[in-house]
Amino acid sequence: MRVPWTWLNEYVDLPWDPQEAAHRLAMAGINVEELTHEKLGVSSVVSAKILDVKPHPRNPGQKIGLLDTGTERLQIVSGAPGFKQGNITLVAKPGATLPGGLTIELKEIDGVASQGMAVCTNELLTGQPPRPFEDIILLPPGTALGIPAGELFELDDWVMELDLTVNYSHCLGILGIAIEAAALAKRSLKLPEVLARWNWADTHGSQKPEPDHKGDPEFKIDLPQPEFCPRYVGKVIEDVRFAYSPVNMERRLLLAGQRPLNLIVDVTNYVMLETGQPLHAFDADQIKGKTIIVRSSSPGERVVTLDDVDRELPENTILITDASGPIGIAGVMGGKATEITEATRKVLIESAYFDPLTVRLGSQKLKLRTEAALRFEKGVDPTAQAAIAERAATLIADLSGGTPVPGYAETNYLDVEPKRIVLHMRIVERLLGTKFSPETCKNILEGINFQVEDMRTHTEDASVSVVVPPRRVDIHGEVDLVEEVARHYGYDNLGTGDLSRAVPGGITDPGLLHVEKIRDLLASHGGLECVTNSLVNPEDLASLGWDPDDPRGNPVRLQHPLSSEESVLRTSLLPGLVKVASSNTRSGIQGLFAWEIGRVFFPSQELLPVETRQIGLVSYGVLRPKTWLGGQEESGFYRMKGVIDSLMSLLGVADVKYLPKAGMPFHPGRSAKIVANMSTIGEIGDLHPVCLKRLDLPMSVTACWLSLEGLLSMVTPAESVAPSRFMPVERDLAVIVPEDVSGGEVIDSISKTGRHLVAVTLFDVWKKPPVPEGYKSLAFRLVYQPQDRTLTEEELAEDRDRIMDKLRQDYKAVLRS
Amino acid sequence: MAEMEVRILQQIIEASTAGELEHVRIKYLGRKGEISALLKNIGNLAPEQRPAFGAAVNALRNKVSEMIASRKDELDREALEQSLLRDAIDVSLPGEYFEVGGLHPLTKSLREITSILSGMGFTVYESRETETDEMNFVKLNIAQGHPARDMQETFYLTETTLMRTHTSPGQIRGMLALEGRLPVRFIVPGRVYRRDPTDASHHPVFFQVEGLAIDVDVTFKQLRGVISTLMNRFFGQDVRIRLRPSYFPFTEPSCEVDISCVFCRGEGCSVCGGSGYLEVAGAGMVHPQVLLNGGYDPDKVSGFAFGFGLDRLAMLKYGIDDIRLLYGNDKRFLSQFRGL
Ligand SMILES: [Zn+2]
Repeated sequence: MRVPWTWLNEYVDLPWDPQEAAHRLAMAGINVEELTHEKLGVSSVVSAKILDVKPHPRNPGQKIGLLDTGTERLQIVSGAPGFKQGNITLVAKPGATLPGGLTIELKEIDGVASQGMAVCTNELLTGQPPRPFEDIILLPPGTALGIPAGELFELDDWVMELDLTVNYSHCLGILGIAIEAAALAKRSLKLPEVLARWNWADTHGSQKPEPDHKGDPEFKIDLPQPEFCPRYVGKVIEDVRFAYSPVNMERRLLLAGQRPLNLIVDVTNYVMLETGQPLHAFDADQIKGKTIIVRSSSPGERVVTLDDVDRELPENTILITDASGPIGIAGVMGGKATEITEATRKVLIESAYFDPLTVRLGSQKLKLRTEAALRFEKGVDPTAQAAIAERAATLIADLSGGTPVPGYAETNYLDVEPKRIVLHMRIVERLLGTKFSPETCKNILEGINFQVEDMRTHTEDASVSVVVPPRRVDIHGEVDLVEEVARHYGYDNLGTGDLSRAVPGGITDPGLLHVEKIRDLLASHGGLECVTNSLVNPEDLASLGWDPDDPRGNPVRLQHPLSSEESVLRTSLLPGLVKVASSNTRSGIQGLFAWEIGRVFFPSQELLPVETRQIGLVSYGVLRPKTWLGGQEESGFYRMKGVIDSLMSLLGVADVKYLPKAGMPFHPGRSAKIVANMSTIGEIGDLHPVCLKRLDLPMSVTACWLSLEGLLSMVTPAESVAPSRFMPVERDLAVIVPEDVSGGEVIDSISKTGRHLVAVTLFDVWKKPPVPEGYKSLAFRLVYQPQDRTLTEEELAEDRDRIMDKLRQDYKAVLRS
Repeated sequence: MAEMEVRILQQIIEASTAGELEHVRIKYLGRKGEISALLKNIGNLAPEQRPAFGAAVNALRNKVSEMIASRKDELDREALEQSLLRDAIDVSLPGEYFEVGGLHPLTKSLREITSILSGMGFTVYESRETETDEMNFVKLNIAQGHPARDMQETFYLTETTLMRTHTSPGQIRGMLALEGRLPVRFIVPGRVYRRDPTDASHHPVFFQVEGLAIDVDVTFKQLRGVISTLMNRFFGQDVRIRLRPSYFPFTEPSCEVDISCVFCRGEGCSVCGGSGYLEVAGAGMVHPQVLLNGGYDPDKVSGFAFGFGLDRLAMLKYGIDDIRLLYGNDKRFLSQFRGL
């Protein structure tokens, strides 16, 4: 909402400059997003009296006038009806500037020199030519001559752009903001007479009787569905004539972001911006059957709205209808058929209360988020309709000479009970931590329009009882009053404190603690942590070879994604990490080891999808460049497997098996399922060449995923055994086995068969001569260390034979000599 | 003998290697050495002169051995020094290269926040990312059709399920898990999702850290105290806290938390738009209805809640001006966070 500074100051004399006011308002919750100085750029436009007018010799539509600016006399040509002897108008002198960079020069009109131009409102405010039927600006008789336009009208002004939270519907009218500002500045309000009579902003709220309803408005209001429209007031004004609004009103509307149209429509907009109650003006003579019926739409109904769009109305849209059918969409936009035109002589001003939710849903369905809808959907004062219609009627009558018909056409099912709330000082103190006296609370609440009915000052039960002004639809209970008191007292004046009870904090869930240790381990092994998008492209899942029958190819979908690239929930960390690899290769990064820990999602039979956590790793290229000390280290299966081994030993997960061949996206011959305690907890491998090609990856990429939940369920805390006091003995053992024998199984077999072994390390794999074709040599270093003695040579030889017997039997192994 | 002593000492000093020195030793102290030879002449002396002569020869022998030993030490030291010099290395050459990884700036920031709040008794509660409309909105006083739903553009999964738009449903789940026990003091960190197109300050997925404290005496004043400590420690400087009234349906009173700009210390700069303040969180006193929804009696307890944008905090702390960098996972960017 845009608030022109001079308009706000019409209701309260603020002792501040606009900057200070913006700050004070913001600190009371009325968020001023921007404060701008709006300069129109008008110069050398001054008041001038038309001394004499004579006809134009060649053009009967033009007149030649002699104008007095007080200091000079100008010959000016004009065709405007108001260009008459004796009138005082505004004249743009040669060299004058108008908005839009328009400059006025000496010129000839049909052969007669014109020393400037008599201007109309449109020219003065927008630099655009006169609108149909628009006259030059006529100033009141007695206006001093030569006065610049900027002194006669509010041309330059400050505008506060508010970004209001949705509960601040009471500030969707400038008067509402004036009430807040007046309370903050401790100044009194100056109200338009008709609103003062209604006492809208009086401390008694709007409980006082509204203007009287006597009179015969001749229109009938029918509200068959009071749940959607419980109150409708029609105010009739007769004998109106077409006019444009005064300069200041148009300027204020422009500054507030409303386009001026004509006086009647402008007044309804002006009063909406003033009070927050949206109004609509009908050409009353176009309302068929002199009846207004507010009802919900039937299938197929249409209406042409004011913006010239023929709209099909969604079902259950609330309509304003007459005997002929729809003439407007309630609370959203009026209809073309009954709009105000030059021919309008009788006006009906609609001032109604519509159900907020119904307006909201309707305007959302129609995608018509009008100023009116934005106000109705947040809730307007349910008691103010008649008074505000009266305010509009009075303004129209004052400005264009129409005659308001006494009384209203009204139907009302609303019986607004005054909302009474008791605010206890003990509750204020309990929530804020600061003691408040009932007097302080009373003063604050009265300042913003609450009526204080009772005040108790006894310490035990100190309280104030208030009546909530009906425009404050955001106030429901005692805590809301605590906020009112706090924000007008100043949040920053409430002091600071510490939590009183000392309790231990930190990560108490062991799983979360382990996750942090896993992060540290991966980082210390050279991995960079990534955070990738959990919304992914279904095509990325397909690129990794996951068909819809694979759970990973059947993701949870967003109903209305922003784009197909971010339209499903990830079922694995791999799509994101593979993208990280590809984007880094495209940046010329030679090597990368990256990882992520995060959630993945799967559809489920339950209401919500299944969420589980994963660890994902990816690497490619040169991980350590060649240096003068040694060769480069490259990404690959065994390096990543080594990281996983470290991870397993961190978590104490023993007996981890790597079974050949994981599915897509892995290379069938260079991948494994990771199995621990009989269950698959992950996969590791180089990516399948087909995937590399699809993902446009120029080099081999190794990846791994691990189920974090699986790992955490297997965590075994470290146990301590006192180190043996005896020296360890090392023995090397080299065996030759057929090439297809799994090295991992041989290691396992040695570890299980040997006695007192504390380490079995494979230190060489050899497949070339002298090892025969089809065989490989595996060389192990065995470390023996019993707790109670040093093994003898005989025992060591015995153990070697035992191991060799087993290997011979199971793998056809022979000892390499 | 005195003349001999001078000569020997001269030769000891002149010996420049262990071999030369040994040569001197044998020449004078050896069994057939010149000092032993002196004693052979003792028979030529008068018997009363003999003891004195013997003592003088012994003294000379002792003195010479001492001199030789000390000269030997000296020569050994010199030899060691020379050999050490020969073994010297070029210490200016680069050391062995270890590729060190690192944590993401979001993780680093969250760890700091967790650690600071741990000191004030907060534990960590992780809540789910897919949520029900009920938990994400209704239980937080945001009923169907509430205008506050406009504040949070939502990714729906079905009519009734969605991607959480904030970590606040974690308040309800966390409270329910505690089953009425006091005090309630936990944080809920995690991803949240909004239907905002990506730009320099928006990403459809981002991180929040929710905090909740409930007890018999929790106040707005304490909220300020906790936030103030958190911000001061997190940014490692004196940060002024400004609380501006605001609106969240699940807190009342509610506020926006502004901190004095950590770049210009409140003077006004491009980061804070000249205002000297940065908006970092929303907060407030837990609404009575929300306490009830979590199984707590608003007549007996009160609480505060806050929600920080983790991305925003990380960006301010590390001087990152585009949120897309956080999710771009460029090695050159991530590598910068390997340090402290
Ligand atoms: Zn700054």
